[in-house]
This record gives sequence, C-alpha cells and structure tokens, in this order.
Amino acid sequence: MVVIFGANGDLTKRKLLPALYRLAYERRLSPGFAVLGISRTPMTDDQFREKMSSSVEQFLEDSPFDKEVWTGFARSLFYMAGDVSDPQTFSKLAARVREIDAERHTGGNVLFYLSTQPSQYGEAAKGIGDAGLATGQGWRRIVIEKPFGHNLASARELSEKLHQVFRESEVYRIDHYLGKETVQNILAFRFGNGIFEPLWNRRYVNSVQITGAESIGVEGRGAYYQEAGALRDMIQNHLLQIMATTAMEPSATFQPDAVRDERAKLLRTIRIMKPSEVLENSVPGQYGPARIGGADVPGFRQEPGVGPESQTETYAAATFFVDNWRWAGVPFFVRTGKRLPKRVTEIAIQFNAAPYAVFGEHGDETTPNLLILRIQPEEGISLRFLSKRPGAGMKLRPVSMDFNYGSSFGERSPTAYETLLLDAMIGDATLYTRQDMVEASWAVVEPILNVWHEHKFDFPNYASGTWGPKESDDMLARHGHTWRRP
Amino acid sequence: MSTTIQPQTILHELAELWVTLGKESAPDQGSGVLRACAMTLVTVLEESEDTSDVWSVMAALMPEHPSRAIVIRFRPSAERALSSRVFSQCWMPFGQRRQICCEQIEITASDASLPDLPAVILPLAVADLPVVLWCRGARVFGLEGFPQLASIAGKVVLDSAVMGGAAETLGRLDGRTRAGRIIADLSWTRMTRWRQMVAQIFENRSYLARLSEVQQVRIGFGGNAPSASAYYLGAWLLDCLEGAGAKASVKWDPAEKVVEGQLVRLEMNAAESDGLRVSIAVSGEPGRQCAEVRVNALANRTVFAPDNDYSLLRQELSIPGRDPVFEKSLTRAVRLAHGE
Repeated sequence: MVVIFGANGDLTKRKLLPALYRLAYERRLSPGFAVLGISRTPMTDDQFREKMSSSVEQFLEDSPFDKEVWTGFARSLFYMAGDVSDPQTFSKLAARVREIDAERHTGGNVLFYLSTQPSQYGEAAKGIGDAGLATGQGWRRIVIEKPFGHNLASARELSEKLHQVFRESEVYRIDHYLGKETVQNILAFRFGNGIFEPLWNRRYVNSVQITGAESIGVEGRGAYYQEAGALRDMIQNHLLQIMATTAMEPSATFQPDAVRDERAKLLRTIRIMKPSEVLENSVPGQYGPARIGGADVPGFRQEPGVGPESQTETYAAATFFVDNWRWAGVPFFVRTGKRLPKRVTEIAIQFNAAPYAVFGEHGDETTPNLLILRIQPEEGISLRFLSKRPGAGMKLRPVSMDFNYGSSFGERSPTAYETLLLDAMIGDATLYTRQDMVEASWAVVEPILNVWHEHKFDFPNYASGTWGPKESDDMLARHGHTWRRP
Repeated sequence: MSTTIQPQTILHELAELWVTLGKESAPDQGSGVLRACAMTLVTVLEESEDTSDVWSVMAALMPEHPSRAIVIRFRPSAERALSSRVFSQCWMPFGQRRQICCEQIEITASDASLPDLPAVILPLAVADLPVVLWCRGARVFGLEGFPQLASIAGKVVLDSAVMGGAAETLGRLDGRTRAGRIIADLSWTRMTRWRQMVAQIFENRSYLARLSEVQQVRIGFGGNAPSASAYYLGAWLLDCLEGAGAKASVKWDPAEKVVEGQLVRLEMNAAESDGLRVSIAVSGEPGRQCAEVRVNALANRTVFAPDNDYSLLRQELSIPGRDPVFEKSLTRAVRLAHGE
C-alpha cells in the first residue's frame, strides 16, 4: 500500500498518480496494491478517484489513457482527510490502513510518501511512529522529496527526526533526476562498454561540463524560490548526484549499497572551497527582463512574490575538483539557471586534443572530442569528432553523431517517477540518495552559500534568453576553457 | 500570423519528428535512426521569394553537409509578427535502401520582429556545432537588427552582387572582417573557376618563370562599372603577381551586350609586344558557355559550367573557418574600388 501525504497537491496529480497508473497499465503492480491519499481537503473515496482520473488523463506522458485499466486501478484508490499536525490523523490512519489491508490483502507492506511541506517531514514521521505504523507485518518505508534540509545542520536534524522512527535503510530520499533513463544509462555506458572506461580519467579527459538549464522562470514559485536559489535547488542535489554518477569508481556489484557507497565516496572527494576561493570558482546570477520569441518576459525581481531588491540567485555556476587518483586536476564545471535559452540537462565530457597537429593546415584541429550524455529533454548520447570532409584534399570538420533513446528504440521510456516508485516498492534503493550523500553534498555547497550570503551582488546580471552572466564565462576563461553551447 | 513563437515548442516538435521517423524505420532489425549533423544552416530571405528553390538547395547540400536547416522569411512590416513550422525532408539515394532525412524549420517574421529572433535562433542551433547564416537579400542585410542576428553565426555567407554598389558593399564587408567576423561572399566564390583556370596556366613552369613580366591586367565585364567579382579577381591577381615579383596595374574594360556584372574576359600582358600574353574569354549562351584560354599563340577551349546557389554554397560550407586568401583579396578589392 502507498500512503501519500499531500494527496491533493500538484506532485500527486502531475507525477505520482500518472506514474502509478502507468505501472498498473503495464501490470507491474500486484493485485492487492492500494493507494491511500491524505490531505486536509474533505473528500470521499469516489471524489478522490474522480479528481485523480482527470489529472491522470491530463498529465500522463506519452501514453494512452485506457478507461478499462483506469476503472480497475481506481478501485485501489482510497482517501482520508487529515492534517499532519493533528495527532488524531495518525490514529485514524492506522485504522484505515488496517481496513484497506483487510479488504485488499496488501500483505502489510506500506510505503509512506511525504508530498508535503518539508517542514512537516519530522512531524509526519513522528505521527507515523506514534501510531505504531512504522512497524508491522510487512515492510515499512518512507519516501521524502527534496529539499533535505537547507544546510548541513538542518539536513542532519531532519535525518535525526526520521531515524527516531525509521532505519536509514527504510528512508528513501527521492531525486527524480536519478530516475531518468539516461542517468541510469551512464552506468551502463561506462561499465558495460569496454571502449570508454579506459578513457574515463585525467589522462584522457580534459574537463567535464554539467549543465542543468531551464528556459522558464520561477513560474509562480517566486516566494519559494526566493528562499532556495539555484545552488540549493539544483546543484546541491540533482547536479552533484549526476556528477557523482559520472565520476564514481565502478562498484564491485550492482547492489544498491555498493553503488551508493561509490557515489557517496565520490561526493566526499570533491574539494571543499575555502572562503577565499569561493568568488574565484563560483558565480551567482539573476535574470533580468527581456523579449523571447516575441513575448516580454519579466525579470526575477518583477516576478510575483519576489522582493524588488532580492539577492537570490537564479543562476549558479561552480568549478569543482575531485581529489582522487582518477580525476586529479580535471575541472568539473557545473552550471544551472532559469530563463536560459533552452531546457536542457547534459553532461559533456571533453577529451584531450590529439597530441600532434598532423592536419594543422587543413582543418580546425583545436576542436576536441566531446561526449555528450543528454538527460533531458531528449534522452540520448552524442559524440562529436573530426571527420574528413568528402572530396579532394584533407579538410577536417567537426561532426556530431547522435544516439536518441526515443527514435532508436522506438518505444516509450518510463518516467523517472515510474522507475523510482517501483524501485521503492521492491526495495531497490540504488537510485535514492542516502544520508551520507546528502551531508557530503551540503558540505560542498555550504561554503559557497556562506560567502554569497555575505556579498551584495549587482543583480540582475544576465538577460533572460542568454547563457548566463559574463562572470561565468570569465570563470572558465581563468581555467583556459569556454562554456559549450548546449 | 501570431506574434510569438516558443523555441521550446519547436524543439519538442523536432524531437517528436525523430521519434516518428525512428518508429517508421525498422526497430526490430536494431537499426534505429542514426543522425549525423555538421552544422546549423540559417537562411534568411524575403517572404516573397519562392522557398521551394531554397529547400531544393538545402536538400542537395544535405548529403555532404548534413545540417539542421532554419529558413527565416522576412516580410516588410512594422507590426511584430512571428510564426513557425517544423518538418523533415527525406530522400532515397539511388541504389540505397536507407532514407536520408534532415530536419527543417521555417520561420516567418516581420521586419519589426527581427530583434526578437536571436533569442529564438540561439536555442534552436545544434549544440556544439558551427552556425552558418546565409543572407540572400540586400534589404534584410541592411536592417538595423541584422548584426545581432548575424552575431549568433560563426560565419555569414552573402552575395555582394545583390547588395548594390560594389565599393560600398566591399567596404562594409571588409569592416566586418576586420572586426573579427567570418564573412563569405558568393561573388568571390564565383571567381573560383577563373582562379583555377589562371592557376592551371601557370602550372606550366616556363609560363610561371615569365610571370614577373606581366605589367597589365585587363578585366572585361558587363555594365558600366566593375562588379564586386571583377574587383575580387583583380585584387587576387595583383596580390599573386606581386608575390611573383611583378608590378602590375588593372584596367577595367566594360563590355557591351553582356549581362551587368558578368565577367567575360581576362588578360594578363607583358609590356613587350613579344612578351607573355595570357587571355581567358568566356562566350556563348548562358548555361552553354565555354572558355577560351590563350597563352601567346596557343589556345584551347573548355566548358564553362554555370554556377548556381548549390555549387557556390557547397564550396563555402567546406571552409568552416577563416579564408585568408579571401580576406586578403577583400582588403585589396576595397582599395581597387576606391581607385588604387
């Protein structure tokens, strides 16, 4: 049984229920499967089912809505009204869980999914524990969404609250980036192909660029975003996890903890910046107003809920170094931002140029090989290399060779939430973030946040629709690099 | 026409296009779809122009220069208006079983929307690969916002033959080249065959040894004033002759009953009457022309195949970076156009 706290929220409507429906459509759910939604809004089971029906139909990605499948699936949906801050909610919840268990024969397995305000995580976990729901006949697990704290201390505090009720092995911290097909494919690509792994080190790799770009602005989330900022919202979790997956050592087995151990180890080897190094190696930015595609778009400070003097960064870039044998001296340039030219998340591995310019007079030999792992929107892999132009003479030019998941396999990839929900149900935590990983990434990010907090930046410093502030280009130039154009 | 377009929507439509093509291929055979791409080719033209000609050029270029093709059609209007469509063009090469497809984006914009276009084109450019902009018309080239649009491209291809006064146009191109921009002029590209014929003459070592005798170059052209092509040819020849130790000057010969701007004759003469005399004369109906190459008393004739947009662009796309010979000739051509 999946118990969703915050069942009337956007995440449930847009992601969780469509993913669960799709798993039902593919017959991946057991017959006794059930969903119990909880939120403050009073609703009957039937009203909840009706509401979820229209949400699933609207937000289902690349998949047909089958009324017959839905009818069967809807019978497994239940609802109860309740407030997380009210202890009565949990005693009612315990009774309802027993009732559904008796009706559906769920086997006593319960997955609690907290799709609520992060400030309620501790309270919800305590309520679950106090009601005796954290233990039972089957397994009990809890899934929480980011942010996992707003700094290292609060991340530890949250963990302590969760650990009072659940063991770490029962806590599933979800990072939907890790559920994407291409992120998983990084492992397949690196460790399933003999030709790339020997090149995956400082000897052949010149630098790595990780870009997580959004073309949209804060879209009504100004109040939330003003408290978070790009570094917390994207780099601390998604992009550092991607970096860890890209750079980690091969694990001895593909067991969840073996893979997570390697990822955590990598995060711990990222060099922590000293305060004096922060402004040299990181750049905050904030978008200003512009015209894009013929439409006027507001700057961040003009967004609803954002202060006119806000110092929150909507763009963040940083240069990281990994202090281990494999990556010593190789810069990892990580950037994220809102209102950039396009929505794209990519990892670009730039290899060293050929050692000798044998075709120096005939082509642009300064163009190094690039391997691009595209995570969204088009999941795939591209390789850029130099090729002889057809015809007389030895003229070289760069060519990009693309592998695209959608067009190559001709079949739909599961959404990240389908993958991750199913993994949580079967107890595979490989793609979930562990507490030591959360702490390691906060340890990397916190010194940057502290220095930025002490400075007053001249925002806005980039126009919407451009690739970020000039200072970011300057940061790479200091290392002898330029940002690529994704 | 709408007033806004979303680059993200266009990118999504492109992605859908490839998924569809992938499904139409034979996934059961594991072939899938492999895309090859060498650049983004942006073509700018007037809305009144027939786009089928342009798309035919794109299709012909694709096998050798696979690219994402973006065609922007401009309408003279002070009202902001933008619209777009996405499609693919596929063809089956003779004797092969596999289709070749390229993705195409057509954007229609009013002049007033020109400042909005850089933010549209930037996200549509293929990652990490060069962007080449081909500007087909003088009017758009002269619009105030054009430099911002052109700044997205690593190389801008245009044709000074359609840009108006040669001296002024060459001066503008030279200015942009000196500012670091990479420019290609199809009027220069048209001179490739003339330059090849001249070079072939001097592959003969006995003629090459006498190259320094040349003191006068005569270029015959249609119309009243030399075209940009004539200036380019004159500039290139003078530079080459100087390199060989000759001090020569150019004389311009307007020819009657010849299409304006077209080159018909080139002479390279020594001062002495028994010295080296080289001439190349092009004659015949358009499309069926031949060139007579004469060195002193020895003459031979060769086919002078017509240039077209495809052959010219094909040459230019083969030069991804700077073309030092062109840039040197451009600078000299500006001096010639100002009476050197």
